Amino acid sequence: MQANNALNYDYSVAKCFTYATILFGIIGMLIGVVIAYQLAFPELNYLAGEYGTYSRLRPLHTSGVIFGFLLSGIFATWYYVGQRVLKVSMAESPFLMILGRVHFWLYMILMIIAVVTLFLGIGTSKEYAELEWPLDIAVVVVWVIWGLSIFGLIGIRREKTLYISMWYYIATFLGVAMLYLFNNMEVPTYFVSGYGKWYHSVSMYAGTNDAMVQWWYGHNAVAFVFTVPIIAMIYYFLPKESGQPVFSYKLSLLSFWGLMFVYLWAGGHHLLYSTVPDWVQTMGSIFSIILILPSWGSAINMLLTMKGQWGQLKSNPLVKFMVLASTFYMLSTLEGPIQAIKSVNALAHFTDWIPGHVHDGTLGWVGFMTMAALFHMAPRMYKRELYSKKLMESQFWIQTTGIVMYFSSMWIAGITQGMMWRATDQYGNLAYSFIDTVTVLIPYYALRATGGLLYLIGFFMFTYNMYKTMTASKAIASEPQNASPMAA
Amino acid sequence: MDMETIRELQAYGYIFFTIFLAVILYSYLYHLYRSEKSGERNFEKYADMALRDDVTDAPIEPMSPLNKAKD
Amino acid sequence: MFHWLERNPFFFAVGVFLVVAYAGVVTILPDFMESARPVTGTKPYTVLELAGRQIYIKDSCNACHSQLVRPFKSETDRYGKYSLSGEYAYDRPFLWGSRRAGPDLMRVGNYRTTDWHEYHMLDPKSVVPGSIMPAYKHMFQNVADIDTAYAEAYTVKTVFSVPYDQPDMPTLGTYDEAKKQVMAEASAIVADMKSPEIKEAFQRGEIKEIVALIAYLNRLK
Repeated sequence: MQANNALNYDYSVAKCFTYATILFGIIGMLIGVVIAYQLAFPELNYLAGEYGTYSRLRPLHTSGVIFGFLLSGIFATWYYVGQRVLKVSMAESPFLMILGRVHFWLYMILMIIAVVTLFLGIGTSKEYAELEWPLDIAVVVVWVIWGLSIFGLIGIRREKTLYISMWYYIATFLGVAMLYLFNNMEVPTYFVSGYGKWYHSVSMYAGTNDAMVQWWYGHNAVAFVFTVPIIAMIYYFLPKESGQPVFSYKLSLLSFWGLMFVYLWAGGHHLLYSTVPDWVQTMGSIFSIILILPSWGSAINMLLTMKGQWGQLKSNPLVKFMVLASTFYMLSTLEGPIQAIKSVNALAHFTDWIPGHVHDGTLGWVGFMTMAALFHMAPRMYKRELYSKKLMESQFWIQTTGIVMYFSSMWIAGITQGMMWRATDQYGNLAYSFIDTVTVLIPYYALRATGGLLYLIGFFMFTYNMYKTMTASKAIASEPQNASPMAA
Repeated sequence: MDMETIRELQAYGYIFFTIFLAVILYSYLYHLYRSEKSGERNFEKYADMALRDDVTDAPIEPMSPLNKAKD
Repeated sequence: MFHWLERNPFFFAVGVFLVVAYAGVVTILPDFMESARPVTGTKPYTVLELAGRQIYIKDSCNACHSQLVRPFKSETDRYGKYSLSGEYAYDRPFLWGSRRAGPDLMRVGNYRTTDWHEYHMLDPKSVVPGSIMPAYKHMFQNVADIDTAYAEAYTVKTVFSVPYDQPDMPTLGTYDEAKKQVMAEASAIVADMKSPEIKEAFQRGEIKEIVALIAYLNRLK
């Protein structure tokens, strides 16, 4: 079979998901920028009547970037990396090809309906799990198809041992499946009572229990969508792009199990000082701090992979994107545990420091890694060199500036807000009314939104660069071994 | 079962599993280094799976048992 | 053993799943026995309040407002008594929120009134200068969905044994009985409101979203 030279990897599904990543990236980030500006300039709430208020749009932003942009990115890289590290082409199995196409189209239909329903305000209010039950069922179907495609490809593999990226993809599949199922347990009210809207449902869990399940989900959705699959990406793309084998493969295996075990216990840190049992809170705190170890294990492994090769940072913008991504990973996995310390959390919880922290991770780590992965894939999928290195360089600096503006303004805003909420005068009365703590933040909100805007501009540059690469760039004769070819 | 007993079981469940997993994790670490030192396996070669990933490249460890001897 | 695990995708997957799932089993499941028990005096939502709660969810008020008073003096001074687990026994879903771009609403019914809410939802800046909250004018146009609220109350009563129709608890009854009661509750709120349109609509038998929402907000104590 290996003598068959006609055999090639089949990227048709990976290409489809690449387009979806770009499309939902634009939608999700655009809405993000709009709602960020709405906080600074409330008049912007009235651009689209009922459908344009901050509160209506916020779930669209979160779901749009998590389940639109990022999930597409994960699927795109899976349909690319999976074949390569297993050394088997999807074209070898017509069944897997059909499955891949069905996966893509079902996912697209689902996402479009999801966007429409969220605009209409149909949802359950649970963060990152807003979709109502009919869509939840569709999500499960899409997920099962992805699972079939993963294990189907593994079933016909030539490479016996699973590369570390595969471990992380499998973990993503299992983790999200479990979390999503349990958090979305709900009872459709129409079918019990015969009244009202057929798509309405009520949560299986009440009050504190609901909160525990939600944040067990909410925190670990971050783990299994923002962290685990992105590590899968970086373990493949950084070594491949730089031509350096992973610094220590053993360390990567060990960090994997460490991460799997520790991450799930840490969800309690979202509920410090709430009404969940004390021991859950304390354990959430402690495990969040232990979580630094496996996280940094992976990140340091990545940075050490570049040992002796730092010159590539200068010559190859893709390596620069990925190295900065792992640096932001280290930053946000240090920041998170700090916020999980109970006394720090007392100040930081409910403030803007929390979205600040989230965006260190998402813009810096997740966004940069996903874009770098797609840049790396493009010359191999379209057999053309990347359109413009210069554009990539400027994109890198514009977006990095955006991220720095974003998190620095949110740090200041969050801590200011937290301090003002608890400030008292000399008699022990509260020093500020709530509205004082809002108006003082408006300059920071404006700064944050502008940071986000810079990031969005960078994303448009990425889109243009990708588009040109697909359509107008110089064709390349053979697939590049390592560094992706790019025109100046 | 009253809440006290459940709490106790919870605490035991948690402690035992933590210890169990810590043991597993360390023995895994030991296993990784021992099997590499004794020459039984070379883990670092797996890193090449990302680098030599053309469909025509020879697998690092092929599926077919016939090729196992080369290992 | 480890060597074997690395090459067998199926058992590898099982291993990952066990490690990942265990945390949930230990931390979450046992507390289902206890936490859902209501504290004395906590009552299920009436149908009109539930309709309001659904509007709160529809417009994601929880994106900016929390409903969780933490046990700090600065919070109890500002918002009132700190939250107890049993107070949330009938909250499906919970609405604690994760961020306070606006103030906590756990006990907003203690210090805000119907007409305050009416002005505030129509034009937040008129009552809170400098507010960044958007106006929710559409709540004065859209009609509240009482049917779905009834469906929800009926569902939680049948499936989760929420104590409607018990002594000292809100009555639910049949759909027609519930509807009658909703009209009675709504008329009390409409009487406190200023807007002639809302009053007119109520005469026609329409309950606007704002009425239900205010019923819910007044109930938060």
